Amino acid sequence: MTITVQIPSSLRQECGGAAQLEVPATTVQEALKELQRTQPGLYHCVCDETGRLRKHMNLFVNESLLNRRDGPQTKLRSGDTLFIMTAVSGG
Amino acid sequence: MKVLTSTDLGKKFKSTKSVPAFPQADGRALANIWSLEPGENGKDLWAGVEPAALFRSEDGGNSWEMIAGISNHKHAPDWHPGAGGLCLHTIVRDGNRIHLGISTGGHYLSEDGGQTFSAANTGVGAGFVPNPYPEFGQCVHKIARHPSAPGRLYMQNHGGWPDRPGIGVLRSDDYGHTWESIAEGLPSDFGFPIVVHPHDPDTIYVVPLEPMTRTCPEGKPAVWRSTNGGHKWKKLTKGLPKKESYFTVLRDGMTVDEFDIPAVYFGTTTGQLWMGHDGGDEWSCLFDSLPPINCVKVAIV
Repeated sequence: MTITVQIPSSLRQECGGAAQLEVPATTVQEALKELQRTQPGLYHCVCDETGRLRKHMNLFVNESLLNRRDGPQTKLRSGDTLFIMTAVSGG
Repeated sequence: MKVLTSTDLGKKFKSTKSVPAFPQADGRALANIWSLEPGENGKDLWAGVEPAALFRSEDGGNSWEMIAGISNHKHAPDWHPGAGGLCLHTIVRDGNRIHLGISTGGHYLSEDGGQTFSAANTGVGAGFVPNPYPEFGQCVHKIARHPSAPGRLYMQNHGGWPDRPGIGVLRSDDYGHTWESIAEGLPSDFGFPIVVHPHDPDTIYVVPLEPMTRTCPEGKPAVWRSTNGGHKWKKLTKGLPKKESYFTVLRDGMTVDEFDIPAVYFGTTTGQLWMGHDGGDEWSCLFDSLPPINCVKVAIV
């Protein structure tokens, strides 16, 4: 099963300019592991060396914001889109 | 936390008898006061606070009531803090109409004197969620209005998103129900303050910043002025540094005075206070070594 990962413009340079990637995954954690394997530069921008989501990033499945602690366990369905978004950091 | 008042132009200050505070059972605690707006009679005072909530005093700040219509809004659990915190930073009042700016909550509008509030964000974009135009949750930076044109509002929103251009500087002509971009012609649609001329609702000022560094593009400070409601913009730089000046001007860091031909003022997080004479045509530095400037207000005495 593949899902779509949507890449923010600020990180596209880490994955050859791609705006989205198709990855095989049944959970968010699997999708992140696949990114770690195939797009290590992108993964490094999203997760730190312990695998934790960096504080200035957010993940959404379709339009639902994932909880930072339990989010990686979220199950995915075929056709889902995992959005990697820059967390808001206004003034 | 204290609210201080002065009746002698700041020579002496006195604490009010109380400050905004959440009810004990509420669970929230006051972290900061972001906005204090006086009402008509000298005693009416409104306070926008962090975490995002609105308080009102009818006795000059000696007692405060939380305004439940926004403070306990059904959307409130889904608001998120921006880098500055989850703050209700802007209160714009016009009779029974009240506009609020919340970061990140968006623009909320009451048309019944503050009894009820609705999210009014049609056309207000967000670059940090999958839906580019959510019902609420935008990172509004500032909202401004001229008293003689109450239906027209201007907004500096969190822009600077390459995939969602133009969402940072907006205008509404229907009391804030719908908004459209007026960012075309600016070097960046990211910024914090937006200020309206005291006598001309068509004239507005913004300070575009690089979205990543939150400083002036290329280290060359400039205030941008539009004299036709945002259709065209002019860069104002005379007297400002020409290079290597990475100013950041925060949401309350710019204002205008009330003279017929007003001066514009802005303060930077690096402690410079600038005055733009003749509506911003020529600038001079009033102070260059102040602490970081969060808020600039001006009075003619």
